[in-house]
Amino acid sequence: MIAEFLWSIVIISIVGAILISLYGIARRPSLVKKLIALTILTDSANVLAIMIGYRLIYPIAPPVLPKLSEEGLAEFLATAVDPLPQALVITAVVIGMAVNILIAFAIIQIYRIYGTTDIRKIAKVIKK
Amino acid sequence: MKKIHAVAAGIIVLAVVILSLVLTTFNLVPSTTGVRSLGKFFLENSYFGEYSAKSPEVVTSILWDYRGLDTIYETSVFFLAIISSLALYRLGNSIEVENNSETTGSGLSFIVKGVVKLVSVMIIAVSASIALHGHLTPGGGFQGGSALAVVPLLVLVAFSKFALEKLGYTKDRAMIVRSLSLVGIAIVAVIPLLFGGYIMQNQPIFPARIGGQLTSGSLILYNIFEYLAVAAGFTAVFLLLATPEKIFKKLLGVKDE
Repeated sequence: MIAEFLWSIVIISIVGAILISLYGIARRPSLVKKLIALTILTDSANVLAIMIGYRLIYPIAPPVLPKLSEEGLAEFLATAVDPLPQALVITAVVIGMAVNILIAFAIIQIYRIYGTTDIRKIAKVIKK
Repeated sequence: MKKIHAVAAGIIVLAVVILSLVLTTFNLVPSTTGVRSLGKFFLENSYFGEYSAKSPEVVTSILWDYRGLDTIYETSVFFLAIISSLALYRLGNSIEVENNSETTGSGLSFIVKGVVKLVSVMIIAVSASIALHGHLTPGGGFQGGSALAVVPLLVLVAFSKFALEKLGYTKDRAMIVRSLSLVGIAIVAVIPLLFGGYIMQNQPIFPARIGGQLTSGSLILYNIFEYLAVAAGFTAVFLLLATPEKIFKKLLGVKDE
């Protein structure tokens, strides 16, 4: 019961972090803060994906074969977590890092040209 | 911290706890004690079984064998993102040469420099270990490459951009290494076609063991190439980020305030 309660706190906290980061992306005027909120969103989504592959049992093992013999295979299958979400998250993390670099470069370039990262001020300058 | 922020934080924490209590009592939280059938297939087959990738590391065998095409597309997205960053930050060649002769800073103190010299070697060794053991233990090309990219970053901070470029680690060379590594990945991916296999097939085209050492066929090759590609890509980006601000201001025609 306590394990389920702690588990649900973790899941709901991650969902809460996603909601807060969505607020940050939509409502914060600074582009840098939008980028920070975006990284929180991607990381929370990745942790949620890892959580889907987790198993509520003890003991639990990573999806790496402990030894190269078939006798340990049954025990390994009984304790190992789902490897598929982890494989997907690895690619998501690296893509996320590259895309974040691209966005950060764009923000720095915007700051150089307009002297601010506040989108309200940038919109005013563009309208003129 | 403003009062309203403290109140908002309190409300959020309270809502999380109450919602978890409600969900636990009505048993609505999604949690499993088993593995889904697809995950079980990968766990069973990664080393033993009929569709084996000959790798005890199940995540790497999914990454570069079972779902290999996903990773190829992912690598191309990564490539495009880095290329777009470089295109946003492009500099003329003449300006870059001028920049080099201008900025010959002395860097940080000799303590920091000495530590960086020692730590750099260790980071290179650890990152190579992460990448080369990617098919045996957790790790692989992405993780090793990201770790290796820390070395140029440290050198940039402790010494200078010029120190790195004087040693030959220029942006153009990093891009050449990166492109060659991506070509290597593409070649490893199409080699099975020559032997009548499928694209990105691993076993039995590539040897699972070389000289008694488990190499898991194509997995180690992919990991090595990805290691170099990721490290070189991030090095190029860090070098561009270290370019002095006044050079960009001059290039864009923005006045210095």
